Amino acid sequence: MLRASELAESIGIPSVTMLGSGFLKQAELILRGMGKAMPIAAYPGVPMVDSEATFRQKVEEQMLPAIIEGLARDKLKPLAPRIVEPEPGSVVFEGTLDEVEQHFHDQLWSDGLPVIPPTRERVDAFLACTDRQADEVIAVLPQESRAADILSIAVNGVMAGCRPEYMPLLIAVVELMAEPQFRVEDAGSTPSIEPLIIVSGPIIGDLDLNSGQGVMKIGRQANSSIGRFLRLYLRNICGYRIPPGDGDKGSIGFTFNVALAENEPWARDIGWPTFGEEMGFAKADSVVSIQSVVSFTSPTYTSGADAESHARMFVEAMGPAFRHWCYSGVKRGLWNPLFVIGPSIAKTIASQWTKDQLRDYLWRNMTMPADKMEYMAMQAGAETMDFHELVKEGLIPADYIASDDPKREVRMIVKPEHIGIVVAGDPGRNQSRGYMSNHIQAPRTSRRIHLPARWPQIMAGVAGISKARGR
Amino acid sequence: MSNPTYQVLWPLARIQIEEKSPVKGLPDLSGKTIAELWDYIFRGDIAYEIFRKKLQERFPGVRFVPFAKFGNIHGPKQREILERLPQMLRDEGVDAVITGIGA
Repeated sequence: MLRASELAESIGIPSVTMLGSGFLKQAELILRGMGKAMPIAAYPGVPMVDSEATFRQKVEEQMLPAIIEGLARDKLKPLAPRIVEPEPGSVVFEGTLDEVEQHFHDQLWSDGLPVIPPTRERVDAFLACTDRQADEVIAVLPQESRAADILSIAVNGVMAGCRPEYMPLLIAVVELMAEPQFRVEDAGSTPSIEPLIIVSGPIIGDLDLNSGQGVMKIGRQANSSIGRFLRLYLRNICGYRIPPGDGDKGSIGFTFNVALAENEPWARDIGWPTFGEEMGFAKADSVVSIQSVVSFTSPTYTSGADAESHARMFVEAMGPAFRHWCYSGVKRGLWNPLFVIGPSIAKTIASQWTKDQLRDYLWRNMTMPADKMEYMAMQAGAETMDFHELVKEGLIPADYIASDDPKREVRMIVKPEHIGIVVAGDPGRNQSRGYMSNHIQAPRTSRRIHLPARWPQIMAGVAGISKARGR
Repeated sequence: MSNPTYQVLWPLARIQIEEKSPVKGLPDLSGKTIAELWDYIFRGDIAYEIFRKKLQERFPGVRFVPFAKFGNIHGPKQREILERLPQMLRDEGVDAVITGIGA
């Protein structure tokens, strides 16, 4: 909202922006990040839980005067004065471990968990694992308009508990976040996206990522700390903090995702392309992908010696979990379901079907009544689902309007190619799980990880450490 | 037992934005053109209907460019719409903008 208003103001046209009163603190932070004071007309409370009569009354009695006053600009609230901040790379505190933890908590620089103190020595060790300069700026990121530089990646990587050799991957993660399609400006929205990092290629082994049993659990240093890094970076550099920070408006939310790695040897063994190869990369490429996640399904157990018996259960068990929120993706022509399929199940399916055949089955069979999808949209924010209009705009295929029967079945997934498949988890059990993205916010995107020329030497050093630890 | 101390680096990064002066306001909306920018959510259609009626009663000659002219400013075509928004506002002779609804 504020970005549209800011565009008008940039050509000298005064604006007023309407917001729910619960969003005023976030608006203040965004305005601060934009460097511009603009008026707000606040709706008291939540528009979706008021009757229409109450809504009309509040709009007329409280918002209308604020609109007139805001356009007149006679009582414009100035921006909060900017505090003088330290220089990047400067020492900001000295103390014991307990004192450092307390200071970081007090400053809202941590995620509530203990952090590794980012000393210069530790940060330098991270910087030594990249050939990029510490002051190189990848992008200026909303909502606080901070420069996402290499140094800040190293500092937050240290804090998250990463190891120095993760640095090339961490840089690639921030580069993906900075791409326009990630829409980092929306990362503090109420559904509360948690970006999921998916790692592909030789770097899985290099960094000792878990792709097997317990793959999505906290427990392996690389998976856990890389996932934590991303959330910490969104807090510290973008400003997405829950209260008392208030830049993150996730209504309930959930915790960060650990980084997911594929069991690539298994995928190759059963004759399927790996996830990284499907994203367009070569076997030798180390790749990082990101997609948003808003929810995941129950553990889905499937059985049988034929492919369809497993695929049918995916539809039966995971389809209902996607049912409520899939309208948000259909309405925008895109959302990315991700199926993390247990190795033994993948092996059974792969004995009869290609990955594309599985995709096609899921796409064709995950359906719901059109009127139910419209109902779900109305619940979230009085959104309309005009299927005819969406087809006209080219967002969804014409078969969504094959008939006018409100009870007709429509597809929950817009296109089969929107489905991602990763082979991971416990090879000794028949379990899979589905992950749901948040429509066009952080759709699945990938990037090759740039490794420094001295990567073999870095890895040789890591191997020495691992050997000394008996791994 | 000694308790070591740590010198720690600042974990944030430099803010890179210049502050801009506020745009001059419009104390009288009579005869002015107001653009409606909507994200097609949270009953904005009702809100704009009320604004149109009440502002026209109070400010003679005030005119509105309806939200349908611009499309959903927070939908799948958000980027394209925002990219051409300044030119559209100029083309429509817009004097003021009401944007909503964030909630």
